[in-house]
Amino acid sequence: MDTHMMPSPATALDLSRRAILAGMGGLAIAVSLPARAQQGASPVPATNAAAAGANAQGGMLTAYVVVKPDSKIVMISPTTEMGQGSQTAHAAIIADELGVDIASVTVETAIPADAYRWGGSMGSGGSWGVRRWSAHLHRAAAQAREMLVQAAAARWKVDPASVTLADGRLSSGKNSLPIGEVAADAAKLTPPENPTLRDRTTFRYVGHKVPRLDIPAKVRGQQVYSLDFRLPGMLYACARLNPVFHGDIARFDEAPALAVKGVKKVVKVKDGVAVLADTVWAAIKGADALTVTLAPSPQDKISSTALAAMMREGLGAAQAAPSKNNGDVDAAFKAAAKTVTADYAVPYISHAPMETWSSTALFKDGKLEIWAPTQVQDRSLRTAAATAGIANEAVTLHTLSLGGGFGRRLVDDGVPGSVQCAMAMPGTPVKFFWRREDEMERGYYRPAQMARLTGALDAKGNLTGLAIRTTGPSMRREFLPGSLKDGELDGSSVQDLTDLRYGLPNYRLDYAMRHVAVTAAPWRAVGATQNAFFLECFIDELAAAAGKDPVAFRRELLKDDARALKVVETAAAKGNWGAKLPPGHAQGFAYFASFNALSAHVVEASIVDGVPKVHKVTAVLDCGSVVLPDGARSQMEGGVIMSLSTALFEAVTVLDGKAEQRNFDSYRLMRISEAPAVDVHFIESGESLGGVGEPGLPPTTPALVNALSTALGRRIRSLPVVEALQA
Amino acid sequence: MIELKVNGKAHQLDADPDMPLLWAIRDLVGLTGTKYGCGVAACGACTVHVDGMPVRACVTPLESVAGMAVTTIEGLGGDHPVQKAWEEMQVPQCGYCQSGQIMSAVALLAETPKPTDADIDSAMDGNLCRCGTYPRIRAAIKRAAGAA
Repeated sequence: MDTHMMPSPATALDLSRRAILAGMGGLAIAVSLPARAQQGASPVPATNAAAAGANAQGGMLTAYVVVKPDSKIVMISPTTEMGQGSQTAHAAIIADELGVDIASVTVETAIPADAYRWGGSMGSGGSWGVRRWSAHLHRAAAQAREMLVQAAAARWKVDPASVTLADGRLSSGKNSLPIGEVAADAAKLTPPENPTLRDRTTFRYVGHKVPRLDIPAKVRGQQVYSLDFRLPGMLYACARLNPVFHGDIARFDEAPALAVKGVKKVVKVKDGVAVLADTVWAAIKGADALTVTLAPSPQDKISSTALAAMMREGLGAAQAAPSKNNGDVDAAFKAAAKTVTADYAVPYISHAPMETWSSTALFKDGKLEIWAPTQVQDRSLRTAAATAGIANEAVTLHTLSLGGGFGRRLVDDGVPGSVQCAMAMPGTPVKFFWRREDEMERGYYRPAQMARLTGALDAKGNLTGLAIRTTGPSMRREFLPGSLKDGELDGSSVQDLTDLRYGLPNYRLDYAMRHVAVTAAPWRAVGATQNAFFLECFIDELAAAAGKDPVAFRRELLKDDARALKVVETAAAKGNWGAKLPPGHAQGFAYFASFNALSAHVVEASIVDGVPKVHKVTAVLDCGSVVLPDGARSQMEGGVIMSLSTALFEAVTVLDGKAEQRNFDSYRLMRISEAPAVDVHFIESGESLGGVGEPGLPPTTPALVNALSTALGRRIRSLPVVEALQA
Repeated sequence: MIELKVNGKAHQLDADPDMPLLWAIRDLVGLTGTKYGCGVAACGACTVHVDGMPVRACVTPLESVAGMAVTTIEGLGGDHPVQKAWEEMQVPQCGYCQSGQIMSAVALLAETPKPTDADIDSAMDGNLCRCGTYPRIRAAIKRAAGAA
């Protein structure tokens, strides 16, 4: 990890996370962490029940495994479920390692406590949900198994070595009992330090098709999302926010809102006002009835046009923050037979989860309880405590299932309003919610960005030098305020370009920050999404200049990397690279490594009457090993489609400090008629576990754009494609 | 008082006539399977049936459906062939849009028991899914059509 990615001490971040993130190619999803975790604490949490905090309950063997008297298992998961399937993967690990039927396992999301904090903080992002916790949960479940075995052995007065656990039953000779019968005894034991793990070949769930545990409720309308969560006597609070980024409201007249039937109170909240009422509809009518005066802000003049001019200047600016400077790039350019240069651009894009923000809070007797759909439990908890002016320990946070995360819920910007409403109504639970317009306008986008790439080719068409300049607003500066100053390196702006697997002896990479205060946050796969577009489209331009096939050109660059070569060759083979295509169709290829996983795609697309059409995507992922094959396939399919959607259609443009897109009528998402078939293939390399939810996205956009550029006969270098085609 | 029939049961609601059906279903009747996504009929998350036709509940005033038969995701009963197909194909990811997707699919299959890809595109294009479950939605509709 670049030293530039280190947070400043003032931001109370956990510096120990550097160790975890080291070698992750500048992964930028760093969640802010408690100050106490900075003191050299082990990043790996304790597994014993004492570390379970408020989750502690009868029959808890380790902090993640509870065995009830009826032998049912409760798995306490440290991750947020947002459709990515991590909690089912956790249940599969527990069921296999313990030796029980997965049907006997239910999953609860942990209330923040030490056992669920990796590196000192509880949160879900960076495709860490399975890869980080897998080995840890195997061990915790094996500990629980050995505790049950020991308890049964003591009851039967037999050698523990003679006791086995399978299908939820403990057996030794003629003795046999269900695990629930000795769970209370086992819970009194100390977890063994080095439990014996089961042989992977005995697993029934890990590595096999397992139906996701959350799906039955989701097809029946029974899944409780944040807006569905109810408490007796609860009020609804509709936000009325300043649409200008970071903007606040100067004053408001509450009388028209209070005149609306059902409205109970009007409360000033962060960046706006909230109207509290007994139904959602009354709260909405009250919020619309308010008259508000926006406070002027320095952001009022921000526009996408002005930002584009700043970035174009940044592309060629003499000063930039260095990230890599290997070999002698300038000498490579001097000696080159041919040099190629191209500028690329991406706009702001919105996470646009289908669920808009809401959270429920109850302030009573000096304590705050909050129910929130969050990816960052500790960050949200601390923000809630700070807003309420109470100690962290006086806050209990419950996590609700997310109606889409994608990084948007790594930000805690909705928490203060929720707490402010609850503080104004002690003893009454209040659900604070945003409408779609608030969700979309208030941003935390993937930032707009530009890049200039220059490559040197020798007489044989070999790539002998590469220089990449990225420029634009800093994501990190908005996501973690105070973490970066002007001119510093934002690791997300060079994410996964830092340690390319391509053999490049002469390589320079730098970043020229051109910041505007439009809210920004990690967006699924973060900087890798735009950086893969920049690099992999440019690689196609280089291949064309060298007169080589795009796949052959990449194979040359990866000739000493057997693992990457296999990914590229598998994609080319499964995607029928080079096959004869229907008239007007073209193929595009891209390869990219991110989140400790390697991925390559082939996209077949065409342009008919100026309208781009994606016919098929073949997607290959090597994430080391796949824990839940069908869940991983689902993540790859969805990631590919989300990436196609952004590449083809999506952009947030800014005028007068406000987003010009406020709802799905102006912010266009891919629809089913536009979605291609996605053919997914996994490579089991056996390497260390990589991510699944994110690494399938980065190669998608460049593979698509490479196909469309071929179909079009000219290079597309800016997104979204539908706008580039009109230019 | 406005009478609303939801999933075969009559409710007398003391509500604004202009209250959108979505909020009446969720907050007055108490069925939360129908979702709010956009409020402007642009995403389909709130799709319910009114007298068998799919409508966007977020822009349907309560008074305009007084006395009519409303069916929500809960009214499908849980073992509807479309719900079973959705489960078998493991369609949902976050799941937030899926009540609306399923209601649109049920309406499609009632009208067109053996839909073509073009039929599916036409009937389902108003239902957005940010997780990108479209290939599985298509497969599940075909599966349900085969089972029907």
